[in-house]
Amino acid sequence: MLIERRALNAELPAINEMSNLELCELLASLGFPVDGVETKDDQTVLEVDVTANRGDTLSQRGMARDIGAKCNAMLSAIPHRTLREGAPLFPVRLEADACPVYSTAILELGMVASTPADVVCFLSSMGSTAKQMPAVDASNELLHRYGHPTHAFDADTLKGALVVRWGRAGETLRTLDGVERTLTAEDLVIADEAAAIALAGVMGGDSTKVTAGTKRVLLESAWFDPRVVRRMSHRHGLHSDASYRFGRGVDPVMAQVARDLLAARLEDWAGAKLLGAWTAGQVPAARPAITLRKQTLARIAGTVIELTEAAALLRQLGCAVVIHDQYLESVSPSWRQDLTIEEDLAEEVLRLRGFDRIDSVLPPLEGAPLPLASSYLQARNVARRLAHVGFCQTVTLGFISPDVDADFAGADNPPEGRTLGNPLGQEFSVMRPTLLASLKTTAELNLRQGAKEVKLFEVGPIYRSTAEGPSESLALAVVWAGSLGGEDYLTRLRPVQAADLLGIIRDLGVKGAIALQELGEGMLGVEISLSALPEHEDRIIPKFIPFSRFPTVERDLSLLVDLAQPYVDLEVAMAKALRRAAGGCFQSLGCVDVFRHKSLPTGRQAWLMRLRFQGDDRTLTSDEVDGWVNAALEAGQGLGAELRG
Amino acid sequence: MDLTLLPPEIAEAHQRFACSVAASADLDSLMRLKGEFTGREASHASRMMDVLKTAPKEQKRELGAVINALKNEWEEALKNRQIELEAAKKSAASLATSWDPDLPPPLPVHGAIHPLNRLMDRLVDVFRPLGYHVEEGPETETEANNFDGLNIPEDHPARGSADTFYFSAHAGKLLRTHTSPVQVRVLQRIAPDIEKLGGIRFLAPGRVYRKDEIDPTHSPMFHQVEGMLVGHGIGMHHLKGTLSYAMKALFGPAADVRFRPSYFPFVEPGCEVDVRCPLCGGSGCRVCKGSGWVEILGAGLVHPNVLKFAGIDPTVWSGFAFGMGVERTAMMVSQTPDLRLFFENDQRFLKAMGGLD
Ligand SMILES: [Zn+2]
Repeated sequence: MLIERRALNAELPAINEMSNLELCELLASLGFPVDGVETKDDQTVLEVDVTANRGDTLSQRGMARDIGAKCNAMLSAIPHRTLREGAPLFPVRLEADACPVYSTAILELGMVASTPADVVCFLSSMGSTAKQMPAVDASNELLHRYGHPTHAFDADTLKGALVVRWGRAGETLRTLDGVERTLTAEDLVIADEAAAIALAGVMGGDSTKVTAGTKRVLLESAWFDPRVVRRMSHRHGLHSDASYRFGRGVDPVMAQVARDLLAARLEDWAGAKLLGAWTAGQVPAARPAITLRKQTLARIAGTVIELTEAAALLRQLGCAVVIHDQYLESVSPSWRQDLTIEEDLAEEVLRLRGFDRIDSVLPPLEGAPLPLASSYLQARNVARRLAHVGFCQTVTLGFISPDVDADFAGADNPPEGRTLGNPLGQEFSVMRPTLLASLKTTAELNLRQGAKEVKLFEVGPIYRSTAEGPSESLALAVVWAGSLGGEDYLTRLRPVQAADLLGIIRDLGVKGAIALQELGEGMLGVEISLSALPEHEDRIIPKFIPFSRFPTVERDLSLLVDLAQPYVDLEVAMAKALRRAAGGCFQSLGCVDVFRHKSLPTGRQAWLMRLRFQGDDRTLTSDEVDGWVNAALEAGQGLGAELRG
Repeated sequence: MDLTLLPPEIAEAHQRFACSVAASADLDSLMRLKGEFTGREASHASRMMDVLKTAPKEQKRELGAVINALKNEWEEALKNRQIELEAAKKSAASLATSWDPDLPPPLPVHGAIHPLNRLMDRLVDVFRPLGYHVEEGPETETEANNFDGLNIPEDHPARGSADTFYFSAHAGKLLRTHTSPVQVRVLQRIAPDIEKLGGIRFLAPGRVYRKDEIDPTHSPMFHQVEGMLVGHGIGMHHLKGTLSYAMKALFGPAADVRFRPSYFPFVEPGCEVDVRCPLCGGSGCRVCKGSGWVEILGAGLVHPNVLKFAGIDPTVWSGFAFGMGVERTAMMVSQTPDLRLFFENDQRFLKAMGGLD
């Protein structure tokens, strides 16, 4: 919302001496932060942020009124000649509750017309250009100065009575912007006997618009239900200065005043002659009083505020206040339609007192704090763990393109149930079935940027189509691409291998089968459900498991096996034999080296198996260990392995 | 070869020898083995020479032959294995010969927690001492949780398809536009037990979606951290005390807060919260546009309708709620010029901006 400093001062002379900086601070403290201060044609113009509930401040006078309430200063009187109303020149029928009051006048325009220079200048401050058509320019000026939208019809284009009624399904109206609009029964329209001629509070119609040739104008100054205007504006995608204000609630009392002001301007600027003025309906009655209890005010404010002080502040806002023993009753002024509950009044009291006067106190702890959920800690811990071993956490958008989706989603997870009806574009239209789709793109980008090694992970929701709608679950995806090592004198450069990634995932505590995926050349990825990770352990220290203090005995067996020998089979067979032979003394078994070389027999490789034993209650003798190693060797030989001599 | 002439431990060592040679995975272990068997001192070979010296004359010849044969076998096997190992590791320069103690040691290469997650984690840590725990909700929400339960009127523009993403096949299912639906979920869950619990206080960090085109300051997906406290007799002073503590914990002891009136449908009174510019300390800089303050939060006292919707009596219970834009704060603190950097995930950016905790 734009505020011209000169126009603001004219409404509230008390702030004449206030600097722009002070004014900005004051506005911010009232809830209207200033986004920018500009000078246009030597006028200072402030761009002020107004929240959706404060339709009453969407004008120079409205803003001045709120500042005046804060400073307890009087507004200037509106320079205004009250028109004498007479009998309607033709009928105006209000057929919908959404328009309780409709003031109008008919004027015959004079021959010469011009918009005064100061108004042209004011309109330019408001970011609008004078059309040099008094009916249009004056209406526009009033909207910005007093916040009440008005409209002028070319009276000679009207056919018969004027009706404010609901639209008829299928009815059409060409609005001033030249768009042909089909109406519904939820559209409030101004109509004549023949057709709809305006979308009430939103935009006038093309067929009745004022042109350079217009001789007689019919003025409209009414009040329309904000909800109805908002819905129409939304339905037709039509947002005008008028709908912006009506949609946020204007002052119904201003309907007649704005009509008078508009008529007076036409008389002054265009030598217009008033033919008649009248009002249909009446201003809605004031809303019922709102009760504000002293106790509620004290609770919200954090301190006792006397009702006399609260009443004085509310009166500065224009409220009519009656004080009782423990509460006050306040009737809001016609322009404050946003005040409906006790808390609203408390806020107004605090606002005028200044939010800076609110104390700073920590609330007492009432119940016992709850622990952090295991699932939250799990996600947080896994991220830290992966970061420590060299992986970077990514944050990528939750939606992907249908093409990419098709590459990744399983047949049991069709995209239809995960597709947005109104995406930003095709490429952002499907909620992803896997994080790997995004990680692949991100890894490729990093490789293109010259990264030799890419190590990424993401923790986030993945989506599944179900009958009830998209269902989401948390997943962890890890991608490792490029080559590793070669950056120091200890490790050689080599391509990333599946075993590298597998080791990372095993290290996280994932048991069972792990499905690695080759996402591209030299790019490996894996996704697991977060629930596959071990649960976060709540115990500070795990349960004690007795351990042996006797020395561990280590034996290596170098075995020649077929190149096609599945490792797991061999390990299982040897471990089984070792458990049978050594019982509890068998500790572990694993392959620590693989040797493939042309010096070995064709089709064979050498696996160096390391065996560990430990006694619970004694030092093992080499004889018994030899026996166990032999048992393991025999088990291996059963699978075609032989001792490498 | 008659090994019975030798002491039993040497005979036993010889039995293991072939296996041990094959098992030597690198030159170092092979050299140790070599020392053990054929070293000049304290090796099996040297011990055999001692045995030979003290052996009865009539055995000396036979024993000498056995010892020689053994030594030859050992040396031969060790030499072959050495050649094999050297061949296998031809390209790997031995550390023993290339090590220069002045060379900097190789450091472990770390990754990073994403800066946005890092900031959210930090906020959780900041609020933990005040008794807040973490609540999470789904990204797919209903209109009831995302709007109705938060006192957002039916004709509010935010509900429109120009602002909110809706699923095409499921009417009323949408991507949450803020973390506030977590308020609705939690309040409804605890409503039956609220007396026993003595109210609630929690933080809800998470991802949210709005239909904004991608540009340097907008993204269709971003993060918020929601905070909520419900108790008895909660007022604006409690909100101020809490946020004041939190901002000092986050930005340092100079970080004062300032409340300005504002409006959000789910709170009343509502406010926007500025924090004294963490970059210039309030003297004015580019980030705070010279004002010394930066806007960081929206907040207020929970609207009675929000409590009522969840089945909590607003005449007994009251509370406050606040919401922080994570990206906005992250950009402000780090002076990152372009929001898109956070979602591009260039490793160089992540490593520079993220951290390990
Ligand atoms: Zn600053």
